[in-house]
Amino acid sequence: MGEVARRGCCPPMDLFRSEPMQLVQLIIPIESAHRTVSYLGDLGLLQFKDLNADKSPFQRTYATQIKRCGEMARRLRFFKEQMLKAGVSPKYSTTPVDVNIDDLEVKLTEIESELVEMNANGEKLQRSYNELVEYKLVLQKAGEFFRSAQSRAIEQQREFESRHLGDDSMETPLLQDQELVGDSSKQVKLGFLAGLVPREKSMVFERILFRATRGNVFLRQATVEDPVTDPVSGEKTEKNVFVIFYAGEKAKAKILKICEAFGANRYPFAEELGKQAQMITEVSGRLLELKTTIDAGLHHRDHLLNTIGAQFEQWDVLVRKEKSIHHTLNMLSLDVTKKCLVAEGWSPIFANKQIQDALQRAALDSNSQVNAIFQVLHTRELPPTFFRTNKFTSSFQGIIDSYGVAKYQEANPTVYTVVTFPFLFAVMFGDWGHGICLLLAALYFIIREKKLSSQKLDDITEMTFGGRYVILLMALFSIYTGFIYNEFFSVPFALFAPSAYDCRDLSCRDATTVGLIKVRDTYPFGVDPVWHGTRSELPFLNSLKMKMSILLGVAQMNLGIVMSYCNAIFFRNRVNVWFQFIPQMIFLNSLFGYLALLIIVKWCTGSQADLYHILIYMFLSPTDELGENQLFVGQKNLQLVLLLLAFISVPWMLLPKPFILKKQHEARHGAESYTPLESTDESLQAESNHESHGHEEFEFSEVFVHQLIHTIEFVLGAVSNTASYLRLWALSLAHSELSSVFYEKVLLMAWGYNNVIILIVGLIVFIFATVGVLLVMETLSAFLHALRLHWVEFQNKFYEGDGYKFHPFSFSLLDDEE
Amino acid sequence: MGFSVTTLVFAVIGIVASLCTRICFNRGPSSNLFHLTLVLTATICCWMMWAIVYLAQMKPLIVPILSEGE
Repeated sequence: MGEVARRGCCPPMDLFRSEPMQLVQLIIPIESAHRTVSYLGDLGLLQFKDLNADKSPFQRTYATQIKRCGEMARRLRFFKEQMLKAGVSPKYSTTPVDVNIDDLEVKLTEIESELVEMNANGEKLQRSYNELVEYKLVLQKAGEFFRSAQSRAIEQQREFESRHLGDDSMETPLLQDQELVGDSSKQVKLGFLAGLVPREKSMVFERILFRATRGNVFLRQATVEDPVTDPVSGEKTEKNVFVIFYAGEKAKAKILKICEAFGANRYPFAEELGKQAQMITEVSGRLLELKTTIDAGLHHRDHLLNTIGAQFEQWDVLVRKEKSIHHTLNMLSLDVTKKCLVAEGWSPIFANKQIQDALQRAALDSNSQVNAIFQVLHTRELPPTFFRTNKFTSSFQGIIDSYGVAKYQEANPTVYTVVTFPFLFAVMFGDWGHGICLLLAALYFIIREKKLSSQKLDDITEMTFGGRYVILLMALFSIYTGFIYNEFFSVPFALFAPSAYDCRDLSCRDATTVGLIKVRDTYPFGVDPVWHGTRSELPFLNSLKMKMSILLGVAQMNLGIVMSYCNAIFFRNRVNVWFQFIPQMIFLNSLFGYLALLIIVKWCTGSQADLYHILIYMFLSPTDELGENQLFVGQKNLQLVLLLLAFISVPWMLLPKPFILKKQHEARHGAESYTPLESTDESLQAESNHESHGHEEFEFSEVFVHQLIHTIEFVLGAVSNTASYLRLWALSLAHSELSSVFYEKVLLMAWGYNNVIILIVGLIVFIFATVGVLLVMETLSAFLHALRLHWVEFQNKFYEGDGYKFHPFSFSLLDDEE
Repeated sequence: MGFSVTTLVFAVIGIVASLCTRICFNRGPSSNLFHLTLVLTATICCWMMWAIVYLAQMKPLIVPILSEGE
């Protein structure tokens, strides 16, 4: 792997280094500024620097235009709301509208006022319509009361009269007459109110009325079957029609107040039957009229909204573009003469030609006499990091970026992560059955790529869709490692050769006690199928996977250190090569490289040596004889040398670097006072940038402590990171055990019952367990562990990740921001 | 198939794959280098995995002991 990395340093490799950037200055004549920025936004390869950072948004040149755009955006949002309410969806048409922003503003204002007026009118009409509906209900229901009351009153009268006539004797109390007379005199003053009250409030309404008037009130209620639209709130509510009879003006005032408090709408009501009937017909007629008016209004409104919907998208895009253009223009500083705008920004060097083309086209199209001036500035500021990714590499770059954006031109781990990330995932997820399921899911997303990318997806689907190529590679590697582990939903297949093991004799008696014996060549590809289900399966697989984790870990950590070498060479930092790369390499390999060597030698020779013992006693008593643990001749001397190297490399890492840095700093500082003046143009810029750089004091203690921390981190990290790679073993063990449990305890057990229903139930449980636990949960956990191995164990060897991302001004990125 | 033969097969597959990417996705030297890196890394990873498992089974210290039930 090392060779690949080193060769990558010499010719430029895609993605290995971020694009070379430059700070450019544009001087744009004010008349073509708008068009220029617009063309640059189409191009999307220039990140404007804010040259007015000290000004508040209101003090900037184009604040009013931004306000206008904001107002237009608000109108568009209003239209969208209205369309949403009316159920009109904006149509996606691709034909670009050639409409001026000023015309559009006028148009939008007109449409808005029209729409607002229409809404207001519609609301008013609707309200009066609802009121009329309620009124009609009151008329009907209250009319019924009166009719029934009247008939009852007549009956009572008759009865009373008959009684009166029947026993008109001395026994009849004299007072009764008086009472009746008094009653009739009061009856004249009895007033009544009719209206509607919400049903859930009706009980309380009645009680309060009763209390307020001390019982001197008569209330009749009737339920309205269908919910009624309340004219005030416009909501459908269930209501009761009520009629209140009261006596006296005082009571009336109280009742009116109570009605108001309960939101009970009152309606005038005539006592005479004839008038009632007349009113009902009148109200019905008006209702019909209103209905047609409202329908016509709605139709008109729908028509208007449809016409808006047809162009909504284009308007929206236009307004957003306009707003972003003015935002960008606000970042430019106005020239002293007020005839030019000065822009500064970062752009990749390869884009020079395109930017200049855009400038020229803009000048031409806006009939400007002067072209915009394009010049490159020299600066010591760190440029932004920009990787040109495609749809395949972008998700992998995203994995790295979420840890930290690479420093400008730093070696980018993505070049290796594209392969090693899915590979380490697959080491933990090795099962070619599950791999195929994952592959199908990834292929589904890839095949429907075009359709899905234009749709709005929910969060989880969006994430899966974004990582579809990562999942594809993960699936492919899982299938490969599945063949290596020889597991298909935990079932082994002897695909490549017969098993290498066989019984010791024909009777096969000791197969369950002593075990089988190797009779043929080693199984050529992957784990021998015979291991599955044997009693020695776990000891064998554990030893194999543990050693494999260490070997893979040592290899990947070495790759990481080699990457730090690439960085040191690229940035011409010889100190890092001699006092960081070399001692780190020596330290790691003299301990864990040696362990890896021991593992391989042990496998090749079939020795019984105890590797733990060797490694522990290499530290505790390095001079002791190894005895039966000796794997090869001269092992003791080699160990002594390696131990010595490891011990030397620690101070080698720690001590020289701070002293050399100090010396370099002094030399630079001393030399600086005597350097001849550079050309004036350059020195001016250098000075401004230098202020921050030159006054930076060299704190030796700080540098030393920093180096100390780095050294301790590396030394301890070498141990803990190697141990951390054992997660590969743990996760792959968990995966294979879980899948074999599901297979044996669910599927095979269900099969054993010889019953179709049980089999089907077992199959369903098996499928759900496989999908839910193995394909979703295990994928997530293996993904996270692979992520950690890359972020921590691999990248801490070389990756600084303290850069900042390149954010060009681009119209195509506008959608993502909102 | 011994260790060296299969290793050779891996090497051949790696070379063929890098030639294929070179022919099918020829997009300038820096892209080609990137593709080559991907193919080589993948080949080396796969080979390492296979080699580890193969070596581990070459001189067995533990032999399979069948379970009682079988």
